[in-house]
Formats: sequence, C-alpha cells, structure tokens
Amino acid sequence: MNFVTGYCRLNEDFCAVNGEVISRRDVDSEDSWFKQIYKEQEFVYPKFYKMDLLSQAGFLGAELIKRANLRVAGSYPDDEIAMIFANSSSSTDTDMRFLRSYEGNSSPSPSLFVYTLPNIVLGEIAILNKWYGENMFAILPNFEPGFYINYLNITKSGGSKAALCGWLEILEGKVDVFLFFVEENEETGTPLNAENLASLFNHKPSIN
Amino acid sequence: MDTLKEDLKKQIIEQLNLEDITPADISDDNLLFNEEGLNLDSIDALELIVLLEKYHGIQVTNPDEGKVAFRSINSMAEYIRKRKS
Repeated sequence: MNFVTGYCRLNEDFCAVNGEVISRRDVDSEDSWFKQIYKEQEFVYPKFYKMDLLSQAGFLGAELIKRANLRVAGSYPDDEIAMIFANSSSSTDTDMRFLRSYEGNSSPSPSLFVYTLPNIVLGEIAILNKWYGENMFAILPNFEPGFYINYLNITKSGGSKAALCGWLEILEGKVDVFLFFVEENEETGTPLNAENLASLFNHKPSIN
Repeated sequence: MDTLKEDLKKQIIEQLNLEDITPADISDDNLLFNEEGLNLDSIDALELIVLLEKYHGIQVTNPDEGKVAFRSINSMAEYIRKRKS
C-alpha cells in the first residue's frame, strides 16, 4: 500500500506544505514570486537563479517536502526514488521566453535554451539530490490521479520504493503546482488513491 | 581602476544571473571555471560568447581562442583589447 507522506501546493498567491501556508506572495516585492519563497526559506543553491520557472517550482516543491519530512532524503538508496511529473503546457512558457530573446536582440540565450524541454526539471532535482531512479514527464490535458497511481505501479515493479510526483503547470503568469512524495508502508501518511489525491490537489488552504 | 575589467564583472553577473555575487567578489585573476573561482559550467561558456558579441561586438569563432580568453577577467580584458586594436 502506498501513502502520500508529504506534499506542497503552489499557485500565484501562496505556497503551502502539508496543507499549511508557509508563504504568501508580496505583490509589491521587486523579486519574482518564486524568488520570494527562495529567499524567505533561506535556501542556498545559486543555480536556482539560472533555472526557468518550471525548474524553480520543482526545486522549491521538492526541497520544501524534504524539509517537512527529513526522512525523505536519507531513507532510500539513490536508485530507489522515482520521479513522475506531468503538466499540460510542457515547456511553452520558457519556449516563448526563448523566442522573445531570439527576436528581441538576436542573441538568444543558451542558458534559456537548455530549459526548452519540460523534463529538465527532473534532471535538476536528480542532480541536486543524487536520485538516479526511474523518471518520466508526461503531457496530459489535466491533473489526473489515475496516471500517477498507474505509473507508480510500473516504477515499483522496476525496484523503486518511493517517488516524488508532481503536477507542474506554469504558463503566462498562471501557476498550478502540486508535488507529493509517495512511500510504501508509511501509515502516518494519506493512503494513495484517486479520491485522496484529487482532494489534496483541490484543497485550498485559507489565506487570512 | 581598470574600467573594462569592472564592466566585465558587472556584465558577467548580469548575463549569467549570478545574483548572490557582486563585482567585488570577483578578483581579476580568479579562474572563472574553477571551483575556487566562479565555478562556471559549459552553458556559462556559451553565455560568455554571447556577452562578448552583445557588449563588445566581438565574435568568438575559434574555440581555442575562447579557451584561453575565458580563463579569468584579466584574460578576457586582454582578449577584448587585442581584438579591438
């Protein structure tokens, strides 16, 4: 039996970990929303500044889940944590930025170009954590709990014992991010089924 | 103070999004691709090529030239002056 043992929800206005809001967007800040979270949470990973929004969101979600559940990082060999991500807009947000950089000054940015694939975020998280398990990034019309449940069974049959899963939808200022960590036999978590996953995804923490 | 070297430091910080670094953190002889220097990577090397074209109008077409030119701020400044002379 699989359980969700940690999750992070991030949209344009707030960032919540395990259902509790940890950061709210300051619309007057000069920093981007993701940079605000990075600074508030005192992360130290300079490569963050070079990442595109998809990778920044993946970095923040993964790191915040790890912070809330310290067991996540140390309990598994490096090839037993899979990553299963999806979204509906692929890397379109970054593709458009790259296109604009190309049109604007005729010097397209190589560092932007490397992010014009959606699965780069998986590489960023894998490099940072030294997680070498199975990974995949699917493009789906909507968040679909059944996709994660089915694919978790596939990775499990390949030897994975845990997985970081994510819905990372970012496009033209809209942010809809949900990362969750799945483990076997950790009954302190939420049982993994379609109903619970949809409930965690749709739950909106109250913002005072 | 060598204005070209100071400008290069600011341009590198801007072009490479080195937000935690100030020009004062970069010494003229720091090895740019060394862990004890700025620890730049291969994508950063491409950004330096873009930087030279964008800010100094210089195209680096010979990879061997870039290898020498991008060792440090000193070598970049020397390369720019040589190409412009």
